[in-house]
Amino acid sequence: MTELIAQQLLNGLTQGMAYALVALGLTMIFGVLHVINFAHGEFYMLGGLAAVLGVTTAGLPYALAIALAVVTVSIVAWLVDRIAVAPVLDTRDGPATVLLTTFAVSLLIHQAVLQSWGPAPGRIDGLPGAISFGSIVLGYQRLLVLVAGIALLAGIEFVLRRMAIGRKVRAIAQSAYAAQVVGIDIITVRRVTFIAAAALAGLTGALLVPVTLFSPAMGQHVIINAFVIVVIGGMGSPIGAVVCGLLLGVLEALASTVVPQEIGTAIIYALLLAALLVRPQGLFGSVRT
Amino acid sequence: MFKTMRWVGLSVGLVVGVAGTGFALAQSKTPIKIGVIGPTKTLVGKQGVQGATLAAEMINKTGGVLGGRPVELIVYDTNFAPADGVAVVQRLLTQDNVKIVTGEVSSSVSLAVIPVVQAEDAIYIATVPKHPDVTNSGYDKVFRLNSTTAMDATAFNQFLTGNVKPQKVAVLAENSDFGRLTIDNLKQLFGPKLVFAETYGMQQNDFNSMVTNTRASGADLVCIAGSNMEQYGNILRALSDLNFAGRRCVMPGILNSEGIKIAGKSADGAVSADIYVPSLDGDMNRTFVQAFEAKYGNKPEKIELLGFESIWLAAKAMDMAGSATDVAKIAAAIRQGPWETPRGKLVFEANGQAKSGDLIRLEVRNGSMEPIRN
Repeated sequence: MTELIAQQLLNGLTQGMAYALVALGLTMIFGVLHVINFAHGEFYMLGGLAAVLGVTTAGLPYALAIALAVVTVSIVAWLVDRIAVAPVLDTRDGPATVLLTTFAVSLLIHQAVLQSWGPAPGRIDGLPGAISFGSIVLGYQRLLVLVAGIALLAGIEFVLRRMAIGRKVRAIAQSAYAAQVVGIDIITVRRVTFIAAAALAGLTGALLVPVTLFSPAMGQHVIINAFVIVVIGGMGSPIGAVVCGLLLGVLEALASTVVPQEIGTAIIYALLLAALLVRPQGLFGSVRT
Repeated sequence: MFKTMRWVGLSVGLVVGVAGTGFALAQSKTPIKIGVIGPTKTLVGKQGVQGATLAAEMINKTGGVLGGRPVELIVYDTNFAPADGVAVVQRLLTQDNVKIVTGEVSSSVSLAVIPVVQAEDAIYIATVPKHPDVTNSGYDKVFRLNSTTAMDATAFNQFLTGNVKPQKVAVLAENSDFGRLTIDNLKQLFGPKLVFAETYGMQQNDFNSMVTNTRASGADLVCIAGSNMEQYGNILRALSDLNFAGRRCVMPGILNSEGIKIAGKSADGAVSADIYVPSLDGDMNRTFVQAFEAKYGNKPEKIELLGFESIWLAAKAMDMAGSATDVAKIAAAIRQGPWETPRGKLVFEANGQAKSGDLIRLEVRNGSMEPIRN
């Protein structure tokens, strides 16, 4: 039983890290731009596709394919920001308009991939092998997801707390107007945040395709969980996204040992949503005044 | 001299004209629309559409239907969702004015669309769905080409109990009518030997938790019942990654080469069974396989065959009935059979279920599906 729990804990942590990384990007965009980016799941999918193409078509080593994924998604995100986000963000009803424009972008990207790549899944091997402790097994690729996830979270925390751009991001998150008054270039900071969040999603996609396979629908599947995590963690709260993502992954895996997996997931979501009744601003969100 | 030349020209024109009549007529007359539904954004849906498209092309190249009318396919995505299935079938029957709807992978979607087809007095030829109720609705214009879970069970259960002889069995099934029915079948077959049964969502892509619980159950045989090859391929990989020591069985009618590609070496040793393999004898199968390979660059498998058969059968039945709109006559023609298709002779039972012979038992060896010869 102990080994079963330990194995499920590892399974849950890797799954939770994937949830956390996707949700983190989504909540970063909400925190700084105050918009919901419906195309975020497609950035995750594009990262996976770029990694698959990098390995299978360009013959790159997996590490370079990950870099290719980050660069590709960053370029696409820059374009999306220039075309579909920045021009409408400061208009009347800007956030609502961005919701629609990013939704249109997500459909566009999804259909473009379906038409060019097709519906077939793509597979790359990532890091082969696994560590075993008795019957407990952790594949190196899953270990990479965990380690890279922790490193990314620490890096983001460092940037937000210790670097000038991080302080600007936090300033805009608190009040874009006040940040502008003290001379912060909010357009540039918003753009950097949007591209960084998309790059994070792309990187996550590239890290996860060896585990879950690439599929053109992977972005649509992941975005629903990410939205729920962001809302429950607190819209715009990075710590909320990370804690809730990890918590959801671990609870799902542990619950599966006592109740059927789908029922377990439903119960966990119901409990987390019930928590919103007590804290409507989310578990880690602050009340806006 | 000019008169002679004119006659020669006229004769040549006539010969060319007669030779090309079939093709030309098939292109110029009003097309007969046939609806094709399925989860077209998935690999399995795409494979079905490929088979259907090839059938339409082959029919049109050989003169079309009913004296030269070409077949035109109208393809809609059902996205594995019953609500989407109902919406697209309504559109096919009321806006596109088709009389025959074919296709689909999910039993749940098929069961949802049958009342719509019945309300519009049309014909539905289900291709992949395996739930017995698809042909138990009582509506006499529903046909199904794939084998049912019950038919599979009759043939495959004997193999599992007689050859594989497991002590403890686990089943991982998609959360659909087909998956739940498979769990029920295996419960009946193995009784207390079935130690673990779990369903997974149609969009799930990480199976480590489920496989960890499977391993902990002590099962020495795990059976997978899910039509989505991405998912069963991932489950096979997770079983290997977590060092599951028992045998793997993919329930009949599911395994194909794309799923094996996804699973890689993890698929080796998995057993299954199916109604069709491309290496079957027969002139029509050879023609079908060659044409498919020429068009798509790979050999067709069961899903492609079923897509092909659905359009082939609809067209031939219209020819036999002498009508593209009299659905009662077309349905009667389908029932009359037997029909020559790439898998051999196809006949239909009174409830619309197709039968074509015994299941072929398969084992994956070195990444390839091989018939088990015993």
